[in-house]
Amino acid sequence: MTVNGSVLLKTVHLPESHTLAVYRKHGGYEALALALQKQPDEIIDMVKRSGLRGRGGAGFPTGTKWGFVPKATDKPKYMCVNADESEPGAFKDRIICQKDPHQLLEGTLIGSYAIGASRAYVYVRGEFAFEAGRIREAIDEARKAGLIGKNILGSGWSCEVSVYLGAGAYICGEETGLIQSIEGKRGEPRLKPPFPAVVGLFGCPTVVNNVETLACVPHLVSRGWEWFAGIGTERNTGPKLYGLSGHVNRPGIYELPMGTPLRELIESHGGGVPGGRAVKGVIPGGASCPVLRGDEIDVPMDFDSLTRAGSLFGTGTPIVMDDTTCMVRAAWITARFFAHESCGQCTPCREGCGWLERILVKIERGQGEERDLDVLLSVTDQIEGNTICALGDAAAWPARGFAKKYRDEFLQHIREKRCPLGGGSLH
Amino acid sequence: MASVKLKVDGREVVVEKGTNLIEASKQAGVFVPSFCYHPGLPVVGVCRICLCEVEGRPKLVAGCATPVEEGMHIITRSAKVAEARRAVMEFLLIHHPLDCPSCDKGGECTLQDYTIQMGPSRSRFTFEKNTWPEEDVGGKLILNKNRCILCLRCVNLCKDVAGVDEIAVLSRGEHTYIGTVDGRKIENELAGNIADICPVGALTSKDFRFQSRPWELKNTPSVCPLCSKGCNVVVGYHPRRNEILRITARTNMDVNQWWICDRGRGGFHFIHDPNRIVVPVQRAGGTARTVAWNAALPEIARALRGVVQRHGPAAVGVLGSAELTNEECYLTRAVFRDGLNVPNVDFPARPQPEVTYARFTIEGDQNPNTRGARLCGVAPGPLGLGVNEMIRAAAAGTIRALFFLRGGPLERFGDPAIVERALRQAELVVVLDLLPSPVSDRAHWVLPGVSFAEKDGTFTNSSGRVQRIRKVLTLRGDTREDWRILQDLGRALHVLPSADPDPERIFIRLAQSIPAYSGLTYASVGELGAPIAPATADVAVG
Repeated sequence: MTVNGSVLLKTVHLPESHTLAVYRKHGGYEALALALQKQPDEIIDMVKRSGLRGRGGAGFPTGTKWGFVPKATDKPKYMCVNADESEPGAFKDRIICQKDPHQLLEGTLIGSYAIGASRAYVYVRGEFAFEAGRIREAIDEARKAGLIGKNILGSGWSCEVSVYLGAGAYICGEETGLIQSIEGKRGEPRLKPPFPAVVGLFGCPTVVNNVETLACVPHLVSRGWEWFAGIGTERNTGPKLYGLSGHVNRPGIYELPMGTPLRELIESHGGGVPGGRAVKGVIPGGASCPVLRGDEIDVPMDFDSLTRAGSLFGTGTPIVMDDTTCMVRAAWITARFFAHESCGQCTPCREGCGWLERILVKIERGQGEERDLDVLLSVTDQIEGNTICALGDAAAWPARGFAKKYRDEFLQHIREKRCPLGGGSLH
Repeated sequence: MASVKLKVDGREVVVEKGTNLIEASKQAGVFVPSFCYHPGLPVVGVCRICLCEVEGRPKLVAGCATPVEEGMHIITRSAKVAEARRAVMEFLLIHHPLDCPSCDKGGECTLQDYTIQMGPSRSRFTFEKNTWPEEDVGGKLILNKNRCILCLRCVNLCKDVAGVDEIAVLSRGEHTYIGTVDGRKIENELAGNIADICPVGALTSKDFRFQSRPWELKNTPSVCPLCSKGCNVVVGYHPRRNEILRITARTNMDVNQWWICDRGRGGFHFIHDPNRIVVPVQRAGGTARTVAWNAALPEIARALRGVVQRHGPAAVGVLGSAELTNEECYLTRAVFRDGLNVPNVDFPARPQPEVTYARFTIEGDQNPNTRGARLCGVAPGPLGLGVNEMIRAAAAGTIRALFFLRGGPLERFGDPAIVERALRQAELVVVLDLLPSPVSDRAHWVLPGVSFAEKDGTFTNSSGRVQRIRKVLTLRGDTREDWRILQDLGRALHVLPSADPDPERIFIRLAQSIPAYSGLTYASVGELGAPIAPATADVAVG
């Protein structure tokens, strides 16, 4: 089944697509009405059967996550929407927040209903001030229309939704960092277990879902889980927003089925590399995913295939680099980002990320020695798996990926005591 | 409490449910290193030095943050764990100044110890280190951020134990640092504990730093004498200099857990006060002269006897002290009430505002031994007078001799004008004390007693726990332990049949005659103290 922009991006090209009027005109909030006629468990079951996996990067089955929320509890439950889209290369959630916030709100409401939450927070990254405004406007519209607030659509179920604007920290996209931030604390990931489903926001059961994940929900509710499961591959179902950037002729967001081959994405949809130059490497799913060489891009874009290929699907937002790119510099820019964004809480990430950055700068500036490369790889080993959250891994994986896949280019920097590409085209 | 059976490096151990891997390993006799973990603070899991392998789990787990499970096998002696520890040590040292020779923590620094045990001997970090200036953060602490490993113990001590957010984590990534908010100073009175628990030389005590290397100190367990709580402390003293240089907290879960307040921590300097009374002094006709003990005590005894003979025992007033030990209080009773039949025996209360922190209280009674003083008989006998009445009686001339076992400001004993008159009227005023005070300034005899660190003995704290203090210093000048002074006086008065060579022997007598202490000995009191008999009412016997 093809998707080609017909589901999540169905209305984004329309004028005033962000308004309730346009959203409703195209069937908006019908799924919510349908959902409210069902039992919450039925919805969780539907989501489970649909095979929907979290679009925030980890690919955890959404229905299963919802199922972890305890039923028998006196505590309130919370739904948190992760709109802290901060992964370098990722810009897929932004379009939903900007152009179709009601789609997000409808998914949020259905999700809240399914897990028994009557309070939802949309955590928007600080830099998305405009998008946060759009979501706030949408909430106001929805509240006036009886879609948010008390006794929604006469169902007897009530739910409040509010926007929480972050202060500009990548780590607040980590679900427990996000929860800490909403609580007004430092954005630092928590020790797990306990997981948010049991002890989350304000110590209560909480689900944190990505924007795109929730945007999928109204569609699978109204069209049925079979329809959703029929898109993509067996374990990677549904439509996906691929955010394509870097050295391609037509960068942008493409809605295609899960499992679309990376080469097809770059060559057919992205129009190939400018000037017909060769693909030197692709970071397939945002900066934390290990780079693929130009000869490794015949891979379906889904969670399992990219893991098998030694990388990660992440947010499904490939960054394409052609042969004018200096891979040492690319590695350095990536490392610099993670060093800047490390929360500083646990030792390996706090100390290791800055060290990686320093080594990469040194090599890029032509001051590197061969043993620096060994130290670099060793430092990535020392970070990986030893930290509280995945940011440490996210910093270690790309650094290691670049250093291993482009070892010759690193060595050339060291031997020639300069960047052979004059810094390349990335900066 | 449910128990869990597990193995640590092959050794079987049974621990309480909920125990973490560090504590479980400890119980199995296996050491797991830790920086941020402290049993008295919330688990933060940030330092990562306690990473352990658990059989069947792919990733290493933080020993501090992982509870035991039935049948679990913790592995701490694997290449994977050793590598993780080495990695964490290397990371912690990349910006560390390695200034152990000039760092006050040297010798008792966890980072230094672990570096020797398992750290890399050379660093592969060849870049410029991050550096920070030294800072006075209040709380009698100096912050050196260069040495900080961000274990957060200081932050959590203030947040969790004191209940105040006076020190916080600021900035992020490798620029993360510990600091006070807007340069304000730490004010809570528990902050000194930070110097005890800081695992590196980042927060050191302003009072102690550069005074001595820790290995030059002798450490003796004792009890803080500054309030009725009876916090367990370690007295660190320099034997060669015969000087106490610091007091630190000693863990006692039944009393003070891991903490002491800053009053107790800094409250030893009076011992080395240059104004200490070091010889017996007699004041007569506007002149003061020093007198040898062997002349002073017989003279005082004669004078006391004279008052008793001329005016009866009720003409003597004994202002005892709950700053004295149980043994000394017992002797106070034995000499004055039982020996001379003086009915007027009491001690002044020394109240202070109670200070309540989230998990620690500084008690409202400055006397360390109020319970003990009462139980041991520092209380008025039949028709005996209390402190205020004694003072009024002395001012009125019915009490002719006043014997103070501790002096102090006049208002401690009543209306200052009346106390003044009482001291002027009385024909004999004897004061036993450490430092001159308005009371001792007006006495005929001033005898040099000693502090809690210059004698052995026991205190009974507000919850009825008997705990030992210990003599750590050699006596200065002609000072004499208060128990010895009381005993010598009793001998001079011919009211004590024999003398005991040490407080331990006195305690045996005490335990035989006072039901609350029945069965207790120094051995059974031990390092952590022992409760008095539970059903004992707080009344004097006899």
